[in-house]
Amino acid sequence: MDSQSQNASLQRLQNVEKRIVRVLELAGGVMEEFSNPSGPRKELVNNHCSEFMQLIKDIQVTLREEIKSACEYRPFEKCDYIARISNEICCKKVEYVLEKLDGMKEAIDGYHRAT
Amino acid sequence: MGAASRLKSSSISRAVAAVAACKLSLGFFPSFTLSSDKTCCFVLKNTLEEMDGDLSISLDKLPVKRLEIIEENGAERFPPDLSYDDNRVNLIRRIDFAWAVEREDPNKKQKKGDTAATASASKDTTSSAPWPWQSMVENLQLAHQELSVIIDLINTVEANDAVTVAGMTRPKQLPNELLSDLAVSTATKLQCFRHLGKYFKQSAKALEKQVAREARFYGALIRLQQNWKVKRHRMAASAAGNEGFYIDLFDNTLYDPTSVFRPSSMSTVRVEHDSAGMLSLNLPSKACHTLQFGFVSGNSDTILRGSNRTATNISNSELSGETKREAESDDESVKRRHSDLREVHRAVFDEQVFNLINQEAFVPSLGVNVTGIRENHLQLNIDQEASVFISLLSSTQDDHVVGDEESEEKTADIPMIDGSGLEEEEQHVEKKSFLPNRISSEILLKQLFHEQVFVRAKNRSASPSRSQLFGQPAKDGSNLLGHFCMSLAHRIFSYKVLMELEDLASSVSYVRLISHPTWHSRTSSWTLVVDVPQSILHAGHQSLAMEKHFRTKVVVNDDCINIEGEGAPNVVGLFKGKSENSSSVNRYECNLADLHVILLQQVASQIIRWLHEEAVTVGMKASRDFLSLWFEVEQGEVLGLVAHVDPEGGEGGGISWWLVMGNGMGMGEEYKQQVEREDWDGERKRLLGHLSLDVLYATLLDLVTLCSNGYGGTL
Repeated sequence: MDSQSQNASLQRLQNVEKRIVRVLELAGGVMEEFSNPSGPRKELVNNHCSEFMQLIKDIQVTLREEIKSACEYRPFEKCDYIARISNEICCKKVEYVLEKLDGMKEAIDGYHRAT
Repeated sequence: MGAASRLKSSSISRAVAAVAACKLSLGFFPSFTLSSDKTCCFVLKNTLEEMDGDLSISLDKLPVKRLEIIEENGAERFPPDLSYDDNRVNLIRRIDFAWAVEREDPNKKQKKGDTAATASASKDTTSSAPWPWQSMVENLQLAHQELSVIIDLINTVEANDAVTVAGMTRPKQLPNELLSDLAVSTATKLQCFRHLGKYFKQSAKALEKQVAREARFYGALIRLQQNWKVKRHRMAASAAGNEGFYIDLFDNTLYDPTSVFRPSSMSTVRVEHDSAGMLSLNLPSKACHTLQFGFVSGNSDTILRGSNRTATNISNSELSGETKREAESDDESVKRRHSDLREVHRAVFDEQVFNLINQEAFVPSLGVNVTGIRENHLQLNIDQEASVFISLLSSTQDDHVVGDEESEEKTADIPMIDGSGLEEEEQHVEKKSFLPNRISSEILLKQLFHEQVFVRAKNRSASPSRSQLFGQPAKDGSNLLGHFCMSLAHRIFSYKVLMELEDLASSVSYVRLISHPTWHSRTSSWTLVVDVPQSILHAGHQSLAMEKHFRTKVVVNDDCINIEGEGAPNVVGLFKGKSENSSSVNRYECNLADLHVILLQQVASQIIRWLHEEAVTVGMKASRDFLSLWFEVEQGEVLGLVAHVDPEGGEGGGISWWLVMGNGMGMGEEYKQQVEREDWDGERKRLLGHLSLDVLYATLLDLVTLCSNGYGGTL
């Protein structure tokens, strides 16, 4: 799974969590509406409830998709740690060469200054 | 049984009397039926009838011994006889005070009636300050009285088992009571709803915060997962309170279980939450080792620590604490975690390499000469020239190293090859330091082990049929440390060779030095090129338009110098006395001390050969020898051009030319010996000095005229 799809999947799961928070808020709103001494306002409660059901449906759909598309657990078959160490060694080599090149450049500059 | 019934009956009668009173006062008649023996009822009835206070007669049952139990075998049991005291107590109990109680009630009733009458009378008579609550107070008092009687009755019923309550009916509720009950329950329900609504909203807020925190954490974890192996301990998750993630820095896909690679304690890094809920790493406390390579010099405090620069980054980040972290964004924090993990990964590798080195050091093999061991420190001798050490340093143990970074920088950058940076040491160091560069040696060491051990293991496990990589195979078995030590020895030696060659090339003007890269750490090769000026005769009739070059190749393998040159004189031909125009390439060995001389001889012989060729093409009769060229002038006289080789030849280089006159046909050995003797008289031999090749060529052409014109001119 490349990083793009990984990020998108993470984003979808985060959206699910946000929807759950919203669902809780709606439930709280409905309860508070019921506790209204003058009785609940029907259209408000209806709106809340319909939004609630819609969100629950979205959550279910998304979670089902995500669970289906989650890849099975492969035990790190493409471990690149060896290549990583090769790169580290190459980094050191490049640093060393740069040092030498800087030295050469200084020598050249010194030569030009002297003449 | 009689006594018990008397007791019951007395209390029951009291209760009944009270009930009657209740009925009269409140119009309220709780009905309950009494079930008891008929004998008691008889008594009750009597008391009811005798309510006006006359004598009441109580009739006891006959004092007959009644049977209590009959057993199966026919034995009869009678209740035990009461003692005398018990009898008296029973008699006392039999006294019925019901009438007294009754008398009180009507008295009270009368009193009440009187008081009511008086109250009403007083109310009628005096209409001043009537207390409107008076009737309510009286009602409450009566209610209190009745309640206490009922409670007494209930307690008695509970205590006795002969009388039970058969049933009770609830009085019908008044409508206002119904409504108030409904109102109370409704209010309670609304309160519950309100609480529930508040609870939902609170938990929504808390969940939102938690979601945001976890989003940061898991976002960072996914970014780390793209580069590192993230695993999870499910068992430890519930115990530790965090999710139990950790990062595994050990590559276990390659090795068989019997191999030497074990995961060190550093190779798992726990992932934790920091105070803000963001991802943080629990780096191993003994933090990170660095593999250090260096040359042991005379004074032990010049041990260079160049590569500690990056290793102190971790200690810096740990020491600076929380203040740094708050200021950075999530991005930077993830990058910082990545670099921390890089450090730890590199340290794991360094440790593995050091272990391998240690294992190899104690296998006796070529080139490995261990002179000292300490914990995490190994000292080796390279070829009696230098002493090196390889050690595994822990970066956190020396905190003062952090402060010494500036001095480290200075010492680390001094190139050791020409020693030019060590100003103060030049006075007492006569020869330059031949040691190779420390950093490049360290890199070579790591690269060797990495390539040979790790990459090979990986390729072996990945595709067993694949051929070997193009990397350097170790020459002696598979001992990498020996290979490394011998590489160092080779470098030191070849540096000396290079000095000699540079000396030669700078002293002789027509010799150039070319270096060739060999992709092998134990082989070096150079070429000395003699640029020969273009022959004037060749222009036009031969296709050699370019300058001719004579090449001499110098190859150093380990510490063995091989010289290969075209036009090198055939050794066999030398002995035979004939000079053969052999253009074969000969190869021979040499040692360092003789290198300069031999190369000069080689160059000189190449020049002689060239001159000989030119002379022959021009038409002179010439013969050549190892280092001399002889021309036949008339009458058997020979004129020789002899090269003299001297390594400390001064400014002009190592080859000086002599013009020699000789007579006779013999150009055998004695002539050469005579030439070389220094006591030859000055008239026979003239030093021409160091000549460039153009001048030599011109000289040759002059000699042509001499040869053809006869012996006439002065030299």
